[in-house]
Amino acid sequence: MMHRLAMLAGALMLLAGTASAQDIRLGTVIPLSGGGASYGASIQQGLDMALREINAAGGINGRKITLDVADDASDPAQSVIALQRLVNDNDDLVIGGWGSSQVLANMAVAERAGMPYIVVGASNPRITTSANKWTFRTLTNDNGHAARLAEVVSLLHFKKIAIIYDTNDYGVGLRDIFTAGLAKQGIKAVDVESYQTSDKDFTAQLTHIAAAEPDAVMLFGTLPAIAAIMNQARDQGIDARFLGAAGLSNEAVMKLAPQAAQHAIATAYFHVDTDATAKEWAARYQQAFAQANQAPRPSQAAPAYEALKLMAAPCLAQVGTDKDKLRLCLKAWHGTLFGLPPAEAHFDDTNQLLAPLVVEEVVGTEFKLLPGANQ
Amino acid sequence: MLAQLLVGGLGTGCIYALVGLGFTLVYRTMRMVNFAQGQVFMAGTFLGLFGAQQFGLPALPLLLLVAVISFAVGMLLERVVFRRLYASHEVFVVGAIGLGVMIENGFRIVYPEPLPFPKIFGAGVYHLHGAVFQKTYLWILIVTLVLVAALHVMFAYTRTGRALRAVASDGEIAATMGVNVQRAIGATFGLSFAIAAVAGVLIGPLYFVSPDLGDMVGLKAFSAAVLGGINSVVGTILGGLALGLMEALAAFYISTDYKDLLAFAILVLMLLVRPQGLLGRVVPVKV
Amino acid sequence: MRAGLAVGIASVIALCILGLFASDYLLEIATLVLIESIAVVGLGFLTGFAGRISLAQGALYGVGAYAAALLVTRTGLPPLVGLPVAIVAASVIGTALGTPAIRLSGLYFVMSTIGIQQILWILLMHWSSLTGGPQGVRGIPALSVGGLVLDTPARFYVAALIGAVASYLLARRVIASRFGLFLRAVSDDELASATAGVAVLRAKATALALSGGWAGAAGFLHAYYLRYVHPDMFTLDLSVVFLTMAMFGGYRSLEGMLLATVILGGASEYLRPFGQFRLVAYGGLLVLSMMFFPRGLLAVLPIRWRR
Repeated sequence: MMHRLAMLAGALMLLAGTASAQDIRLGTVIPLSGGGASYGASIQQGLDMALREINAAGGINGRKITLDVADDASDPAQSVIALQRLVNDNDDLVIGGWGSSQVLANMAVAERAGMPYIVVGASNPRITTSANKWTFRTLTNDNGHAARLAEVVSLLHFKKIAIIYDTNDYGVGLRDIFTAGLAKQGIKAVDVESYQTSDKDFTAQLTHIAAAEPDAVMLFGTLPAIAAIMNQARDQGIDARFLGAAGLSNEAVMKLAPQAAQHAIATAYFHVDTDATAKEWAARYQQAFAQANQAPRPSQAAPAYEALKLMAAPCLAQVGTDKDKLRLCLKAWHGTLFGLPPAEAHFDDTNQLLAPLVVEEVVGTEFKLLPGANQ
Repeated sequence: MLAQLLVGGLGTGCIYALVGLGFTLVYRTMRMVNFAQGQVFMAGTFLGLFGAQQFGLPALPLLLLVAVISFAVGMLLERVVFRRLYASHEVFVVGAIGLGVMIENGFRIVYPEPLPFPKIFGAGVYHLHGAVFQKTYLWILIVTLVLVAALHVMFAYTRTGRALRAVASDGEIAATMGVNVQRAIGATFGLSFAIAAVAGVLIGPLYFVSPDLGDMVGLKAFSAAVLGGINSVVGTILGGLALGLMEALAAFYISTDYKDLLAFAILVLMLLVRPQGLLGRVVPVKV
Repeated sequence: MRAGLAVGIASVIALCILGLFASDYLLEIATLVLIESIAVVGLGFLTGFAGRISLAQGALYGVGAYAAALLVTRTGLPPLVGLPVAIVAASVIGTALGTPAIRLSGLYFVMSTIGIQQILWILLMHWSSLTGGPQGVRGIPALSVGGLVLDTPARFYVAALIGAVASYLLARRVIASRFGLFLRAVSDDELASATAGVAVLRAKATALALSGGWAGAAGFLHAYYLRYVHPDMFTLDLSVVFLTMAMFGGYRSLEGMLLATVILGGASEYLRPFGQFRLVAYGGLLVLSMMFFPRGLLAVLPIRWRR
């Protein structure tokens, strides 16, 4: 009798294919095409890696996790539809969300559908407000970065500061909070310039900056523009120190501005030297994806990995897949994330994770922790 | 200061001129606008990157190789794709844009991140009246001059050139004179591809290469061609240089935010006031 | 005529049934397609019936969306007030900018619409004091009609359906009218119609106004669909999409345009199997459709079936 039942079960499982009703369905809405494609690929790598490890260790209470991927082509309207599809597929939770415009649009779907949604790829402060019930965000938001940078400016005694910012949401937000942080120290920027994300030539802006003779230049934008700015700045004889937020903490910056980026300082979500776990994880990650189409970028993949492995997985193990219980478990979550300065992280009442940032500088072809800034 | 802006503006202007020439050549012959031109320019940059990195080709052979390959690709695409799009302006416009989308996203899959371009023109910098500029700018200027001169010679003095002009002027009559019109049209596309691709290689060392390189350059080169006269080769070149210079000056003296607006405002104003461009001729429409 | 009516009624009934039984995911896709169809029909006035193609419809759609968004978030006025405002704003701006250009020949007119599209986008992005600039406009409340709040996909779908049907019926009335006759005459042979006494310029300008108005109405719905507007939603790419939809269905066929909107609008979803090649496949769809259906989809149907 048992023998026949076992055979039947086996046959059914074979028929059902790899995913069985017992599996935990993890959804992710990320860009795999369009402008954000490389970031989406990194997020998927982080999730894949965590998923494989969890499943190899037996899954969560015996249940395997499957990944349901929805590509939003870096477009807000499609992102809404993509997340809706994940809801439709009866996914148990969603980890992902890259690009502030996309997340600002698609989080409404999560809130309305009651889907736990952990955002790991967007830093706009307006994503987390007191109205958030289901949407969580693990990245320190832009306000946190800008505030931290103002502290670094104070730490290193910079006096004459120039700012160049991207005129998109990201750049404008950073500029505002940073300027406010400077004002608290009684400092006003000596020059403020702006550019468009797709600009390639920054002669006009840099000429103004050079004339102001700053000792530090804040770069509020993303690659490749800020790398081009650094290169062109050095060409024009500007020898100020560069500082930037997460946009600068991308490993690709050393490829694009090998000389100009030396000693540039950035606030980041991850660094291998902060603890042994980070080092060991980064090595495993680099090895696992050495041949992937998207080169491994630990700083871009770590948040997704940690969200799944350290937050979602323990909660799933603890309360199962009941969405409301998951939400409450996440809200109450606290712990330490590897790759960051030591501190207990937890979510505040806007579902924003409060965690420290790494402050690093470019030395040679690597990021090194900035001495004295990561206590 | 002014010198720096002028050098930069002239450099960008040459690029707009070259890519704009691509628009003009096709327009003169077919009365159509190929909106995939910007992506052809971008493809040229990546082709140059590939040649420089994989084979370590120096500047001159690289430029020639890219020109030849792009010419062939242009002729091929005319035969396979563009030839089927002549039904009407609208069909051609949308079809070309679709082709551009394919090219851009195809490259995005292979090259998801922006990349640095090897300094194939040397790493030296020149100083002139307080302006500091890379050797690349000199190459851009010289190659543009050479190309324009070569084009002029070809159109004015060679049989092929005269055949192309004949087809541009009146395809039917050209055919009766024994010109292989199909081949001439194919060659025109090939030429427009080759010039744009060479421009792509020239600009490589200045900026990083990424698949979105062609979007803005394509639209601005188009505006420049309209400014100078989209049915005039000389007009397009002057339009390109003028736009490049105006942009550089506007970015510094007026506003960096609205400098793109300049190109498009010029486009619209030009079309309203003098649609044939500064140097273009009015082509009468046969009823 | 009979056949057409039957098909029309059957489609509307099918769409209603869809609304009752489809998943939220399908409803959201369908809603987007319905909203886009309004903008496409508007563009059809220019492309099919006035012989002018425009690549500025995306920006005018954006003007409508922003008008609705700014009105509801900055004043206390009820959402529906935004509809006429959006329509008028987009129509006025489209006409003001397009009329000087409308006397240009076809290709030059397209070129100028590209310029207009880019200028409008740049203004949306950089005129921060008016539009919020790169931050966009957030926090648009759900559309409420009277006391009814349309805050679920199913309810909003109904609104979009009503809008799309109204847009189609209204467009048919316009085209069947004397004005529509003038438009077609102008499109077919401008010189002849001018000599026949048709006020050509006025007809074309009116077509511009209509296409702008339709774009504005569609934009209004877009704002309430996403409840967030940002300049990057209204780029040249969107204008290209609208133009392709208007052309793909067949120049003069409203029904063709609707069909094309469904096919191309749903493309982002059914092209998913292409994975990261999705956008390449989409570009391929554009090229191939232009290569093999230059006169539009319905052109392959025998004359008897077409209007």
